[in-house]
Amino acid sequence: MTGKKVLIADDEIHIIHVVAIKLRNNGYEVIAANNGAEAYELACSEHPDIVVTDYQMPFVTGIELIEKLRKNEATMHIPTILLTARSFAITQEMQDSLGVQECLSKPFSPKELLKTIEDILYQRAVAVKN
Amino acid sequence: MRRQRRLVWAAVAMVMASLCIAALTGLFHSGIGVGWRNHLVAWRLIACCIGAVGVIFLGLAYHRLAGTVASIARQLSGDPAGLMDLQAIERAAQAVQTRLREGQEALRTLETELTDLRIRSQLADRQKQHTEAIIYSLRDAVVVVDEADRLLMANAAAARLFGFDPEQARHKPLAESINPGHEDFVQLIQSSRQSATEATRREMQFARPEGPHTFDTIVSCVFERNQVSGVVAVLHDITREKEVSQMKNDFVSHVSHELKTPLASITAYSEMLADGEADDEQTRKEFYEIIQTQAQRLNRLIEDILNVSRIESGLIKVQKEPVSLTILIEQQMQMIRGFAEEKKITVVGQNPIVYDQVLADKDMISQVIVNLLSNAVKYTPPGGTVRIKTEVNETEEVVRVTVTDTGVGIPADEVAHVFDKFYRVRANNKQASGTGLGLNLVKQIVEKVHDGRVFVTSEVGVGSTFGFELPLAAAELAGTAR
Repeated sequence: MTGKKVLIADDEIHIIHVVAIKLRNNGYEVIAANNGAEAYELACSEHPDIVVTDYQMPFVTGIELIEKLRKNEATMHIPTILLTARSFAITQEMQDSLGVQECLSKPFSPKELLKTIEDILYQRAVAVKN
Repeated sequence: MRRQRRLVWAAVAMVMASLCIAALTGLFHSGIGVGWRNHLVAWRLIACCIGAVGVIFLGLAYHRLAGTVASIARQLSGDPAGLMDLQAIERAAQAVQTRLREGQEALRTLETELTDLRIRSQLADRQKQHTEAIIYSLRDAVVVVDEADRLLMANAAAARLFGFDPEQARHKPLAESINPGHEDFVQLIQSSRQSATEATRREMQFARPEGPHTFDTIVSCVFERNQVSGVVAVLHDITREKEVSQMKNDFVSHVSHELKTPLASITAYSEMLADGEADDEQTRKEFYEIIQTQAQRLNRLIEDILNVSRIESGLIKVQKEPVSLTILIEQQMQMIRGFAEEKKITVVGQNPIVYDQVLADKDMISQVIVNLLSNAVKYTPPGGTVRIKTEVNETEEVVRVTVTDTGVGIPADEVAHVFDKFYRVRANNKQASGTGLGLNLVKQIVEKVHDGRVFVTSEVGVGSTFGFELPLAAAELAGTAR
């Protein structure tokens, strides 16, 4: 249906698994990484339409990943969703300064995640058209 | 009256003087032309005159003395006009005596009061010294300055903190005595004094040789007749409290993260099942199994947290009995073998058939052994080997158990932290999941419950050796254990 590419970064294999199934069932292409470093490489090479990342990951954290994406001209415009069990540590100011579109708390609802992705991509498409 | 008396005396003196002059004149003339008889008369006359003059002078002296005494008596008796008679003088003398006694009494009272004051002063001095001794011995730094920010008093803690000698710095401006780096403190005192604030509280950080320290600083103004006469500052070191608070926050943050992670999987897979996202039976079975394993993980995590908490608080029930570590190891090796075989890892035991009994809680030590073995298997790549060895050191009267793997190893800067609560080696995070509580539990059980010790050595890419030592049962029963 959409054909949009979503990059999921999480060190929990089950989270990647369940999100991937949900998104694929809804017509998305899914690429995945176990840590921030791997995710950044994939973002650079695969140019996903949106990135869904965990906060706490080995080597490069979700925050560091987003900062790296924002510094790279090729990836700076990719919208991001932070999916974290530490949502209490993410303030609105932090979210704004990082340019994070949405922050979802774990445990999360795959349905809600799907809707958030759809909304962000829709707004992005409208913005591009205008 | 007095005047008349004086005139009479003067007249008598003048007559006597005239007679004397006449006699002397006669003597003079007789020396020229009269006989020795006339000389005798003249000499007698002169002697009489001299005697008379002497009597007159004595009388005058007596009169003057009596007048003086009477005058004093009149003054003392309140009768300066001299209207009193001799009885009045006596009464006056008595009055003088009474006054004298009263004076002596007042003097004695004053002496008693003076002694009392001296004692009170000594007591006050002692109390002051006592209070100062208390202030000096306080662990909190105390600084007292006057209305011009000159140091009046600083205790030993303040001297250490600000780097000055309180005696040398006394009565000198605080800003001149204090070490550089404490300007904020001087400013706080100045601003408190200027604004005449009764009490100001602020957290201040100062550099110390061992690192920055945080102080809860309370500055209070001292008032005299509505004017600030000085400032008292008390600085309480809250560095440790802040560290503990931070550790608590980290603990809560870590626990919530660790609990939420399996919970997130359970919630997500349950929702997928409920929404019919699992198309076939095999997918549904897979989802159910994931939910089950994540629920078990959650339960294990809660158990681990509770065990660590129980051991730390001393609430855990410990049942120590003589147990053979060789036998416990053998049992735990059987349990871990299935998991090791799945990963194609060989588990080798080298246990001596010697006396190796320790006084231990069997379940707890089994938990220690299984945690070390499962960790070794988790972080060893397929084809590797895990060796478990027991040694008895009779000299030190301990049994030493070591678990050596051919795993990924731990970076040198992280080795010291592997037994910390919730610590996970960052580089090895992707090798296996874990709560970061397993090794902490090992440390707590060995060191806190069994008076043993844990140790670790590791080399990245070569492998790690984790182990523990427990006192031999015989040594512990004999009371000779370390």
